[in-house]
Amino acid sequence: MNRPPSATRYNQRIPHMRARTFSGRGLGWLSSFMLVTVFLPSFSSASPLSDTARQLAHKIAAASGPGAFALEFTNRSSLDEKSVREVRSTLEAQLHVEGVHIAKPEQATGLVEVVLSESLRNYVWTAVIAIGSDEKKVALVSLPRPPTGAAVAPVMPIAVKTALLFAQEQPMLDVALVEMPGGLRLIVLGSDAVSIYDRQGASPSGNSIGRWELETSLPITHARPFPRDLRGRLLQRGDHLFDVYLPGIVCHSTPNAVAPLNLACSETDDPWPLTPDDSVRAFYASTRNFFTGALSPGIGKVSNVPSFYAAAAFQRTNYTLWAFAAVDGSLHLVDGVTDQAIRGASLKWGSDLAAVRSNCGAGTQLVVSESDDTAHETLRDIGHDSLLAFEIPDRDPVAVSAAAEFDGQIAALWPDSAGNGATAIVRKKDTGWYEAYRVSLTCGN
Amino acid sequence: MRPIAYLLLAAISLLGAVAAETRPHYGGTLRVMLQSAPSALDLPANATPAEYWDLSRTLSLIGNTLVRVDVQGRPQPALAVAWQSDASASHWQFTLRRGVKFHDGSAASPAAIAQILGALHSGWNVRAVADSITIESAPPLPSLLAELALPRNLLLKRNANGAPVGTGPFLVAEWQPSQFLKLAANEESWEGRPFVDAVEIEFGKAQRDQAIALELGKADVIEEAPQAASGSQPHSTSSVSLPTELLALVFPVNSRANDPRLREALALAINRKPIQSVLLKGAGEPAASILPNWMTGFSAVFSAQANPQEARILLADSHQPAPNLTYDLSYDPRDPQAQLIAERIALNAREVGITVQVSLSGAEDIRLVRVVLPSPDPTTSLSEAVRQLGLPQAAFSATAGGDALEDLYQTERALLEAHAVIPLFHLPVTTAEGARVRDWSPERRGPWSASRLSLADFWLSDLRSTASRADLPAQAASR
Repeated sequence: MNRPPSATRYNQRIPHMRARTFSGRGLGWLSSFMLVTVFLPSFSSASPLSDTARQLAHKIAAASGPGAFALEFTNRSSLDEKSVREVRSTLEAQLHVEGVHIAKPEQATGLVEVVLSESLRNYVWTAVIAIGSDEKKVALVSLPRPPTGAAVAPVMPIAVKTALLFAQEQPMLDVALVEMPGGLRLIVLGSDAVSIYDRQGASPSGNSIGRWELETSLPITHARPFPRDLRGRLLQRGDHLFDVYLPGIVCHSTPNAVAPLNLACSETDDPWPLTPDDSVRAFYASTRNFFTGALSPGIGKVSNVPSFYAAAAFQRTNYTLWAFAAVDGSLHLVDGVTDQAIRGASLKWGSDLAAVRSNCGAGTQLVVSESDDTAHETLRDIGHDSLLAFEIPDRDPVAVSAAAEFDGQIAALWPDSAGNGATAIVRKKDTGWYEAYRVSLTCGN
Repeated sequence: MRPIAYLLLAAISLLGAVAAETRPHYGGTLRVMLQSAPSALDLPANATPAEYWDLSRTLSLIGNTLVRVDVQGRPQPALAVAWQSDASASHWQFTLRRGVKFHDGSAASPAAIAQILGALHSGWNVRAVADSITIESAPPLPSLLAELALPRNLLLKRNANGAPVGTGPFLVAEWQPSQFLKLAANEESWEGRPFVDAVEIEFGKAQRDQAIALELGKADVIEEAPQAASGSQPHSTSSVSLPTELLALVFPVNSRANDPRLREALALAINRKPIQSVLLKGAGEPAASILPNWMTGFSAVFSAQANPQEARILLADSHQPAPNLTYDLSYDPRDPQAQLIAERIALNAREVGITVQVSLSGAEDIRLVRVVLPSPDPTTSLSEAVRQLGLPQAAFSATAGGDALEDLYQTERALLEAHAVIPLFHLPVTTAEGARVRDWSPERRGPWSASRLSLADFWLSDLRSTASRADLPAQAASR
């Protein structure tokens, strides 16, 4: 991921020329589907499936002419049973309308073999029409396949709750929900732009949550190449809307009062804030995917820790305890005086962690990414990361929740500005799309 | 939380000291073993499938193409960030990525790119215009984007020693023809520096030796024979691509088996299922179409079912076979599975009355071949398959309604109805990776890119066990 830029883009039109995509046509509609409802496993009843089934029936009728035909119907696609029933019933009804009647083989003058198949991009339905011993005729129709799958969040006594905020094909580095004039907006940090989405179609009753529509996109320019594993932060601010931190680049949005919204970026190696109040910052290695370990200012007397991927702070009675997920896989606990390395406890811990406040347990838990690494040893399918909540009552972290598993890899995990939740970006294993989740913790069942 | 579950979770969290970072590490040397033994780092037009994949995977680490195609066959930016064409697809313009440099420090300027591309395609008029290049061709190039994404269009220069110099994530550090290639990370890669410091590729390694090396931890990535995903190696992961090769029978121009009904009878005589389950160990898919179903979705229209009874009827109507005529079936002796498959086909043929003899000498009447389907774009793969099979290039049908799927179907049907080729199986490409190998980009394990065998996004979870070839004793390294 994070290869800039990963999406097809085109220049302005040249007068006598036109942009071409040789194979992507017909999928553009997918990019406008932004909310959870898009990822329902089956089409709704007024779906393109019925339209396509009618198209196929029309082609069959054109090839066969009116008459009585036996119908063999096979599903070799990933369509679910309900959808297959819908296709078949629509097809049969339309055939009837067009004068092709379904009959038993012994009463039929011909045979129509319908196969629901699929390529990587499309559902492809074929019909082979045989009339007597004449040459067989073939009818074909297709329609784009939607992305599939949904994240699973197991229910356990202390639960990591995940709510899908947004999904898109292009990489996302961070997202934030913000109140702006005119209502709620979703800000999405990508590798080359900050995109702001407005919610459309939400009903006051809450029956419809609407969908996000792109309002504006603010480009981010950079001269130096970004790292392959590109990371970036979107931080909400008080005096202006937000700041963006990318390797070697910091961008500030224009003040709230200034319209239209704009983004001013500069190439700099300034340290990234680790806390919403900027009390601790850390330098990020601009050609890698980790923080160098240099802190500015330090935590108490500690101004250097080992290179790390992520950090989180817990408020204790008299001090703040910091946890660092180090590049070498260890966990470092820093209280301002000592730097305690824990290695044994980090089994299956991923590289990302975030402190999240809750009303349960110690009040603040550490949400940690995990890789399904045992898959490598057991030859199971890999690529299903999960989030788990931990507490650190004494020295060693203790798990306090079951894993909330995602159907893909966690590409980013950042705490939100208020500290009550976190944002997880997941790259879906099956579709390659990116999904942004709001992560929170709840107590009890 | 239930106490037992709580304790269990806590216990699990304290087991061992192995970390499982979700974020890639930098460093280490990725050790790769390949079967082919190329004497030069270029992609010959007549490469075997094994050579094609091996060299494609290697050269793709060094160079870039103008565009790429993603898992769904859609064009994506690479060295070109934007493109346009006129309505006839005869005139194309590509806007190049700025600031990209070749490994020798020279700029990947429009002039440099145009020079390389023009040399690769004498029929194209390639020119540099400001920050772009234009490509003009008298015959329209509707599939140009897919063509440009093929490894043969990698934009590579050559240094004084003939080694390739590209813009890709790795640069050539050491090259021993037919034996060994060491690639070093390109710190200035426009895609970001790769995670591993180096890639060492040992060529000419038999699959058995590769498997042993993986087992002993002396290799990180090896090739495997096509087989259903099995994980033949403990502590390793098999990556099986979608089918990207076609195994087929073709009839040379001077074949004595020239009656279409005889050829059709032979196609109906072959029982593909037992060959797939036994000889191919469950890998691949029986095929009666040139393109696999994942590309087109309509392969079900072409039946791969054996029908010996129908074959005998066709044979009775055929002018052939002449009494006592034996047809010679040849195969590629470098393909370890080919001989057994050829013998099985000969057995099926004899069962319906066609005498086929498996032979590597003398004039061949039928040839068992394996061809590469190099692109997820079906039109491009069909053209390439036709070229490799030695068939006359198909004129792609164009229906009145402009239905691309219908056009593709009609083209493939016309090719098959000529009975110059009998598709048998669509086969995947299989690799195995050691336990410490991770892949940053999940799509690399996905259907299409797995066949591309890209190593550029691999990283190593455990750098301690890195023992590069350079670290081994000379004797061991030379074995």
